[in-house]
Parts: sequence; structure tokens; C-alpha cells
Amino acid sequence: METPSYVPVPPGVGMEDNFFSLDDILLSHERLPSRMECLFPRLGFLEKSSDSRDIQEGTKMEMPLFLAKGLYERKRRVVSVELPKVYKEGWRTVFSADPTVVDLHKMGPYYYGLGSQMLHFDSPENPEIAQAILQCCAEWPPGGAIGSNMLGHFQKLMSVSPCLPLSWMKSNIMTFIGRFRRTMDSSQNAYNEDTSALVERLDYLERALFKAGQSGLNSFQCWERGRASTLTASSLVLNYRKRKITDLQP
Amino acid sequence: MDPSEVEFLAEKEVVKIIPNFSLDKIYLIGGDLGPFNPGMPVEVPVWLALNLKQRQKCRIVQPEWMDVDKLEEIRDLERKEETFTPVPSPYYMELTKLLLNHASDNIPKADEIRTLVKDIWDTRIAKLRLSADSFISQQEAHAKLDNLTLMEINTTRSFLLNSLNCMYKLRSNLQPGSSRGKSQDY
Repeated sequence: METPSYVPVPPGVGMEDNFFSLDDILLSHERLPSRMECLFPRLGFLEKSSDSRDIQEGTKMEMPLFLAKGLYERKRRVVSVELPKVYKEGWRTVFSADPTVVDLHKMGPYYYGLGSQMLHFDSPENPEIAQAILQCCAEWPPGGAIGSNMLGHFQKLMSVSPCLPLSWMKSNIMTFIGRFRRTMDSSQNAYNEDTSALVERLDYLERALFKAGQSGLNSFQCWERGRASTLTASSLVLNYRKRKITDLQP
Repeated sequence: MDPSEVEFLAEKEVVKIIPNFSLDKIYLIGGDLGPFNPGMPVEVPVWLALNLKQRQKCRIVQPEWMDVDKLEEIRDLERKEETFTPVPSPYYMELTKLLLNHASDNIPKADEIRTLVKDIWDTRIAKLRLSADSFISQQEAHAKLDNLTLMEINTTRSFLLNSLNCMYKLRSNLQPGSSRGKSQDY
């Protein structure tokens, strides 16, 4: 049985990221548009566009996710983080229309992960986004893809506080579901062919799924063709080269 | 799970053979086999049947369901029904492959049987994919997998489990306050 010599740690996907996951580490470097709410003395070097020593209050700049997460506080407002373009309403309508046509890899390869991480920054004072999201929520057909009791739950939440992240999380899930069929079909049918064209539009999360589907298909096909019964050398052994004495001695 | 492991499990199934040698009863941990008399049909596990067959010590009698008429019936039923229909054997795919590869001279119309079983398999896999899709799109929490065989579950297991895992995580984001408000240490 083929066991890989290295099993990567899966990404956390939810609000909690996985400390050991390489994907989550890369994800934490995604840039977020943000606005400084107070003066940052002597940190001007962080902002490349200006030469001043300090970062002035009200400066708009992009900062990586890990920095924004560390600086963001709900009580004392130091920075306010805006939604990246992909999660805004314009794109959300695109996703709800037909999620399969969107090139998620181009839209930031960690679409789902970043979307979940954006839940850390709920900004209820951001009226226009909250408005847009309320509209978006009202536009969801009741009893459609999401159960109507769930929807009622959402609307109740929305009316109590314009807690905006929920609706884009919903569109996140709907995007995932809408694209699921295609990911599944392409991963379970592409046997012995070049899959780069199939995966190039997939998010990293979907790529991992695609790989899982491919491994299932490939091992079954291998068995069916009777190749599973022939013994092969382990890839570890094949990759193992004898050490030369000259390499070991300084 | 690897398909070859499923095949290993399938080799425990019982099949009827007609030996051409005589041997007393043999006592194994898994049960007693035999006695073997020339020309007298006896039931043995598939692994032993294949071993004896390879040494040309027996003739394998095909299982009852491995018959063109019966398989055609099953195939038509499978195509007609929306849900999965009961299969003749929980290891139909593995047994067909094992028996047809090693003992195709004992089984009449081997090629037709192979095609029919492959047809049944393809129909069932298409159904499985369809139901997985509707399972995901309706965001169901549980499903009942009646009449599915181990091999069929095995081909889609890792994909389905991984995607359900992702779904669960994305959905748990929707629960307000589930992990919100936890202290963050940076």
C-alpha cells in the first residue's frame, strides 16, 4: 500500500487557523485593505508609498492578515479592516449567480480560508457594507438551497445587530456547494490525463479535494488493471541515495 | 483503505469447487475444510480455490449469481431504480475480477459477464456521485448507505470525507459566537 512519506497538515479553514499548516501560514500573508484609526509613530517604513516617519491617522494601506489580526481590537479601535473586493457585494452576486465560472485561484488562492478569517473583523459601524449585506440576505430565496428555518435564524440575527460576516460566510458555503459537483466530476473522471487545466481555476482547498478524489480513482484503476498486485519498490527507497564518504567528511 | 485490502477481504468469500484429488478434512483456524474427493463439489474460500486452480487441482463452479441472465436482470433493475438495488454479493466486483482472471476457462461467457458487471458498477458509481452531489447541495448531516459495497464506498471515501469536513468547518463559521471572543495571543 502506498503511504506517503510526508503528510502535510491540513489547513484549519474555520476561524481558527492551524498553526502547523503551510497553507495557513501562506494565507496569513494575504493583504487586506485597511485604514489606520490612530497615529503610528515611527512606523512609516511599513508604508512604502510615503516617506514620512509616522503613519498618519486615516492612512489607507494594505496590511497582511496576521498583522491586522494582531492589531485589531473591538473595543479600542486601532485599525479598521475592509473587506477585500472578492467578498463584497458585487462579487457575491456573481458567486450566487454561477459559482462554477469564477476563477477562484485568481481571486486570491485562499478564498474560503480568507473568508473565514475575515470573521475576526466584524465592523458594525461600517454602514454601507452592512446595508449591502442586509440587502443580500433579503435577496436569498426563502426555503431555497438553505433551509428556511436557518434563514429565519439569519434574519433575526441581522435585525438584532448588523452582524455582517454571516452573509458572506453563507455565500462562501454556497460557492463551495455550487462548485462541488464540478470538482467531484473532474477529479473522479480524469484518469491518466493532464489535470492542470482542470485544477487551475480551483482554490487551494478545492485542489486538496481534487487530489483526494484522484487518489481514490487512481488506486481503483490500478487495482482493476491488476497493477496493484505487482510489487514495486517504495518511493522512499528509490529516492534514497547512498551517502558518499566525501560528503560526510569535512 | 487500498483496493487490494478490499480484495483481500473478498477472498474470504466461499465458492464451490470440484477437486480432482482426494484429501482428508483439513483443520484451519478459520474453520474446517474438506474432505476433498475427486468429482465431489465442496465449498472453500476463494483464496484456496484460486490456489488449487493455479495448481490445476480443481475446477471452480461459478457462483449462482455469476450468470448472464441474472446479471442482465440486475443491470436493468439497477438502471431503472433511483436508489441502489441489492447486489448479488457484497464483493461482486472483486469476485468477478478474481474468478474471471484466474479461472475464466471454467466460466462460460466470461467476457459477457465481465461487461455486465462493469455496466452494473458504472451505473452504481454514477448514482453514488449523483447522491453525493445532492447530499452536499442540500447540506444534509447524515446519509444512509444501503446496499453499497465496500469497494464502492472505498473509491469515493477520501474525497467525500474531506469535502464534508470542509463543509462542516465553513458551516460552523455561521454559528455566531462558536469561537468568537476567544483571546488571541500574538
